[in-house]
Amino acid sequence: MDLLNAFVTLSNFVLIPAIAYGSQLALGALGVTLIYGILRFSNFAHGDTMAFGTMMTVLFTWLFQAWGVSLGPLPTALLALPFGILGCMALLLFTDRVVYKFYRAQKAKPVILVIVSLGVMFIMNGLVRFIIGPDDQRFADGERFIVSVGTFKEMTGLEEGLAIKTTQGITLITAMIVVAALFWFLNRTRTGKSMRAYSDNEDLALLSGINPERVVMITWLIVAALATVAGVLYGLDKSFKPFTYFQLLLPIFASAIVGGLGSPLGAIAGGFTIAFSEVMVTYAWKKVAGYALPESMAPDGLAQLLSTDYKFAVSFVILLIVLLFRPTGLFAGKSV
Amino acid sequence: MSDNPYKDGRGNKDASIANPKGTGTMSAHPGSGAAKNTGTAFLIGDSMTGGYGNGPDILHDCTVAVDAGEIAVIVGPNGAGKSTAMKAVFGMLNVRQGSVRLDGEDITDLSPQDRVAKGMGFVPQTSNIFTSLTVEENLEMGAFIRRDDFRDTMAQIYDLFPILKEKRRQAAGELSGGQRQQVAVGRALMTRPKVLMLDEPTAGVSPIVMDELFDRIIEVARTGIPILMVEQNARQALEIADKGYVLVQGANAFTGTGKELLADPEVRKSFLGG
Repeated sequence: MDLLNAFVTLSNFVLIPAIAYGSQLALGALGVTLIYGILRFSNFAHGDTMAFGTMMTVLFTWLFQAWGVSLGPLPTALLALPFGILGCMALLLFTDRVVYKFYRAQKAKPVILVIVSLGVMFIMNGLVRFIIGPDDQRFADGERFIVSVGTFKEMTGLEEGLAIKTTQGITLITAMIVVAALFWFLNRTRTGKSMRAYSDNEDLALLSGINPERVVMITWLIVAALATVAGVLYGLDKSFKPFTYFQLLLPIFASAIVGGLGSPLGAIAGGFTIAFSEVMVTYAWKKVAGYALPESMAPDGLAQLLSTDYKFAVSFVILLIVLLFRPTGLFAGKSV
Repeated sequence: MSDNPYKDGRGNKDASIANPKGTGTMSAHPGSGAAKNTGTAFLIGDSMTGGYGNGPDILHDCTVAVDAGEIAVIVGPNGAGKSTAMKAVFGMLNVRQGSVRLDGEDITDLSPQDRVAKGMGFVPQTSNIFTSLTVEENLEMGAFIRRDDFRDTMAQIYDLFPILKEKRRQAAGELSGGQRQQVAVGRALMTRPKVLMLDEPTAGVSPIVMDELFDRIIEVARTGIPILMVEQNARQALEIADKGYVLVQGANAFTGTGKELLADPEVRKSFLGG
């Protein structure tokens, strides 16, 4: 038995990747949950919004790289991120003006808006593929590791190594900053409180003189920022491929619903719940078990519950369980 | 021309029997016999006829008004259009005829939000608070249209409703029914309205809480804000009312001071249970 090595292996293959993935999902789910709370529909175009914002960032990254601008050890994408966010904001405001605003004026039922967002999704999907192509794009540069396996082994003298990728570190720090800023905005500023008030009781918000169009506009701006940050972090960590982002919609929705739609805190909890379950269920535990258990009990097989191809299924099993036993989600959002 | 048999000359035109010249056709008493004395009204929904959307008319020539510094109460049986009259005054109904005036100014065509900006405060009957916001945030949202410093107004409201100060960091949805109503009234008072409209403020609260709420409402009225309110508890409401309107089927049935209505045998028989 070697618990220390077991823990290091667990951290390396499960904890650290899951925390990074969870942060990315949480940021995505925050965007979904905000739109659900304020505009009152599930935005199916969210995955492709993320793809668009990321694409803008990738294009700016390439531009900066061509100019020879870089951030040293940090990825150039961080420098391009604000421009990507601005591009995504422009797209969302344009979409709202030409599409959603019409349906809002008709007081369309939320289910109609859901289908509208489906149409928007296909258009954004096509737009992104048209501009950057359907292929994988890698745009991460700078230092690759904060701690690499080699240095970790040298430092500690342990058998097992632990690697922390720069992108994982950046993901966690950026996510914390973004979430802190969002909660500060929602809970402390006049505009943020008016957004929560509007989400809570639309009629009373109107009677209090809160301008719905302004609330909606600010929501789109925040969602654009959240979606772009989430997309860029995911792209840095893995790679940017439009289809992957379209698929990300599934775990993101699962996170938002598991946490409780409309509850920002729930979106974060849901993101980590989904991420940890996906990683843990699809991880081959043979090595960890080999260290943690007495030799006689060490498993012969891989001790992997599901192949990684099934990782989306994991999100949906959790989603089903939550919907069956706690339909309002972990943090009592709106019932779905 | 009229049903009056005494006016029927039966076609007789013989001037030697009766002189038809000089009998005037104009007669006195043009009134409805139900004068409401609304000349001094601060807020008045005057002869309103209208309904929801394009639906049928619910209000028929209905008048409700409140004078400066007074409490006016709208009572009546279920489905009489009490709340509808209130909504019509606040611009949430299609008023097809009649007008709404605030301090002499015609506001019939203003949206509810604009009426709030003009100085009307409205407390709806249901969902009248932001349940997920704290009590203090509810009050802040009430003052959303104010750009000046509203801390003194908030202090006044905490003086008026001490329990709110105690619970100001709690989510408003966690409060009891009576406390929620106090939050709702407090929220409406944050704009420093010139007139306050309450739609059944005591709906669904216990009798003890109801008495307390009525006391609070009187206190608000004493600060000089005229109050127009709809009430189900007709007797108690009329006791504190300077003026009462009994509506039946969307029309004025009886109007008078609270005492007059309480004393009126017909009102007692039909609405106050004898």
